[in-house]
Amino acid sequence: MSQFLVKEGVKNQIRKGEKLVTTHCCYCGMQCGMHIRVNEKTNKVVGVEPRYDWVLTRGKMCPKGVTAYQTVDHPDRIKRPLIKKNGKFVESSWEEALDLIERKFKGLQSNYGKDALSVYGGVSMTNEKCYLVGKYARVGLGTRYLDYNGRYCMSSAAGGFNKTLGMDRGSTLPWTELEHTDCFFMAGSNTAECHPTSIQWFWRAKDKGAKIIVADPRETATARVADVHLDLLPGTDSALANGIMHLLIKHEYVDNEYVQERCNNFAELKEMTAKFTPEYTSKITGIAVEKIVKAAHIFGKSPRSVVMFARGAEQQTAGVDNVSLYTSMALLRGQIGKFASGVATFTGQGNGQGGREHGQKSDLLPGYRKLTDPKAVEYISGVWGINPEDMPKPGVSAYEMFDLMLNKTIRGLHVICSNPVVSSPNINHVYKAMEALDFLVVSDFFLSETAELADVVLPATTWAEDEGTTTNIEGRVIHIRKVVEPLGESKPDWQIMSMIAERMGKGKHFQYNEPREIFDELRLASKGGKADYFGVTYEKIDEQDGVFWPAPAEDHPGSPSVFKEKFATEDGRANLAVCDWKGPAEVKSKDYPLWLTTGRVVFHYLSGNQTRRVGFLMEQCPEPFVEMHPELASQYQVENGEKVKLTTPRGDMIVPVKITKAIRKDVLFVPYHWGKQQAVNQLTSPALDPTSRMPEFKVCAVKLEKLTK
Amino acid sequence: MNKIMYLEFERCIGCRACQAACRECGDHDAKERNYVEYVDFTESRQTFPMLCMQCKDPACARVCPANAIQITDEGVVLSAMEEKCIGCRNCTFGCPFGIPKFDFEKNKMYKCDMCYDRTRDDIAPMCASVCPSDAIRFIDFDEMQQLRRKRTQMNLVEGKKPQEGNKWDYVPEFFGVYTDSQS
Repeated sequence: MSQFLVKEGVKNQIRKGEKLVTTHCCYCGMQCGMHIRVNEKTNKVVGVEPRYDWVLTRGKMCPKGVTAYQTVDHPDRIKRPLIKKNGKFVESSWEEALDLIERKFKGLQSNYGKDALSVYGGVSMTNEKCYLVGKYARVGLGTRYLDYNGRYCMSSAAGGFNKTLGMDRGSTLPWTELEHTDCFFMAGSNTAECHPTSIQWFWRAKDKGAKIIVADPRETATARVADVHLDLLPGTDSALANGIMHLLIKHEYVDNEYVQERCNNFAELKEMTAKFTPEYTSKITGIAVEKIVKAAHIFGKSPRSVVMFARGAEQQTAGVDNVSLYTSMALLRGQIGKFASGVATFTGQGNGQGGREHGQKSDLLPGYRKLTDPKAVEYISGVWGINPEDMPKPGVSAYEMFDLMLNKTIRGLHVICSNPVVSSPNINHVYKAMEALDFLVVSDFFLSETAELADVVLPATTWAEDEGTTTNIEGRVIHIRKVVEPLGESKPDWQIMSMIAERMGKGKHFQYNEPREIFDELRLASKGGKADYFGVTYEKIDEQDGVFWPAPAEDHPGSPSVFKEKFATEDGRANLAVCDWKGPAEVKSKDYPLWLTTGRVVFHYLSGNQTRRVGFLMEQCPEPFVEMHPELASQYQVENGEKVKLTTPRGDMIVPVKITKAIRKDVLFVPYHWGKQQAVNQLTSPALDPTSRMPEFKVCAVKLEKLTK
Repeated sequence: MNKIMYLEFERCIGCRACQAACRECGDHDAKERNYVEYVDFTESRQTFPMLCMQCKDPACARVCPANAIQITDEGVVLSAMEEKCIGCRNCTFGCPFGIPKFDFEKNKMYKCDMCYDRTRDDIAPMCASVCPSDAIRFIDFDEMQQLRRKRTQMNLVEGKKPQEGNKWDYVPEFFGVYTDSQS
């Protein structure tokens, strides 16, 4: 098969002595199509070429995507295993590193039981690897303690979708339909910075007259052009959604036929939303009454609308409620399962969708099966060739694992594709937990802040050095190609996990020569589950521009739109959400009189372990900052660029000020991509959503202090 | 090459992918030749991209005492020729859009050449290729005319007149590459 895929009539520049390899970006859930330029003589990655004919992104890329290739041959790459000796990392052979891991892992398990080990995964890697992390923890190591960074990313969306629609596919429609949508209701999403290439679809729809309603404490690039900007207080999304539904019912915008036929709980919802008058909603959310009313009318009148949300609404103690309520807004309007309408969450990580479906989560097995379901355990045990009795029980969520490290329940940890001492909330606590470990192994290709704490660092490959599939923001399974051979002695994560499993005496369950074999096993493991990949093959992905799951049979073309006839709940009907507004876990007080919220900037990705090493991106945004309104700045007598101290009950940081009117007067914003003293996650709240166990990154109370000169 | 660069400032989301992409063009020596600026960050997040207008009668070439700035048959204004450029920097002061830049190490001016090694084969320049918001497009002249007429038409559609959230009224306009006024 040709490595350079291009449709008829599309021209690309191919320079002399170079070849192009067709693949996708390694960063966010948009998974933008791109060709990587490879020098044919040296076989090195030398650059990027737009992939004009990729159906979702049409050659477009953000600055992270354009520079992504620079991480492949980067001087900071870890090329050989590192073992910490006397506090310093020393390069070693794979043999020595694996010997040490085997000795330590076996020692810990024989002294303290199987569950003394734990695995912390990530979803910025292929489906094949994500699937294998689950199998590695449960079969290779035999531990129940397994979770992943998607807990901080997608778990509330998953919880909300499962509750209301019975299935968690991030988008109910393919995004190529978005240009035909009449109204977007976007909550808690800085789309332009976090998913820049999605903007083309919104702007195209806007060119045709589509309305945009944005709920965000900041006037983001999307909020700036929105027809209504609902500038809500962080942590008040459920009040806003209830308030909008109150008006939808009052002004008869409800699609009664659809609701009667396809939804449960309408009477209860009506009763719950009754008190959410615009005045009451305004009091909680801080949004002007007229704006709420205007938004409800625009949304209510639009024949085709999409309700979208992201971490702003999800990273809260009421994250699942927020998702369920926003989804219910779409249900009341009878939108889900129809053309150019529905509901979608913005997937933050590259494979945030696929990575959460195949058993990296503490309570899930591949294909979105539940670990508490005996039938699921039996089926997956069959696929894995183990005794169902040997399948570990559910463990705990990502943040709760750190508590178990502190109390010595967990003594060994293998972190794969994640950087939890930057990305977790309340990282001062997380650092203590990591330091309490007896043995820490980290697989990564750059020495992240987490890897610095490790006893052994195993050199993993970048996305361009291995083949596989990811599942993008829409639920479309796509093909990542291997562009070059792994640098130095680095190895893909699936090989690393297989080698350790071999050392733990479980080698027969991990006999893989290439990622395709893992994918075939994943197809089988997911067969019959909710996220059914059985009908997805590498060939089909290339033939038809990706395959949307569920694809339950080999001749099934995939399902771009879902819930057309019925929902995935037991009775086939959607469950409208009946949830009151609860308020965030931490509220502002005399000591901590302001609200703090966190988020991303366009130049960095997640914990910044990759993007902080790319020249262009660091030139644009070298350090964190705190954004504040000029009115607030004048009250504290601080100037643009001046450094101030931010304090919460958990920690403090010193950070320069950026003054703009594009933020609420009572809210501070700090991006989270930096570690150690520059980490805003020293300050963030670890309060968890009761269902999704997702931390409340987006809301906490903070004290601002001017530094004395 | 029968295509033009078309800018719509209000579509810009400030991601600076165009700058990153500019560095990737073959002849660009990993130096960007365009820029993106905030209109006024204190007021709003509105940004705008700026690239060479490829002027018919370019100020940079006119003020060059060494005749180092050449214009191709297609009308693309190139970087100063290495053997002719005397490093006087007149061009960097002469250009009203602040496009020509000066490389102090090489003692030589460099500027946007519309990715000449791409556009001469009718492949879009890097900035226009990657721009996620279509703020920068590389399109046929006819398509540009159509887009401009369409914008006038959109102003007649309900809700498209300047109103709340419509903060791009003060975005600068100039010759050749501009969007219709809202009036």
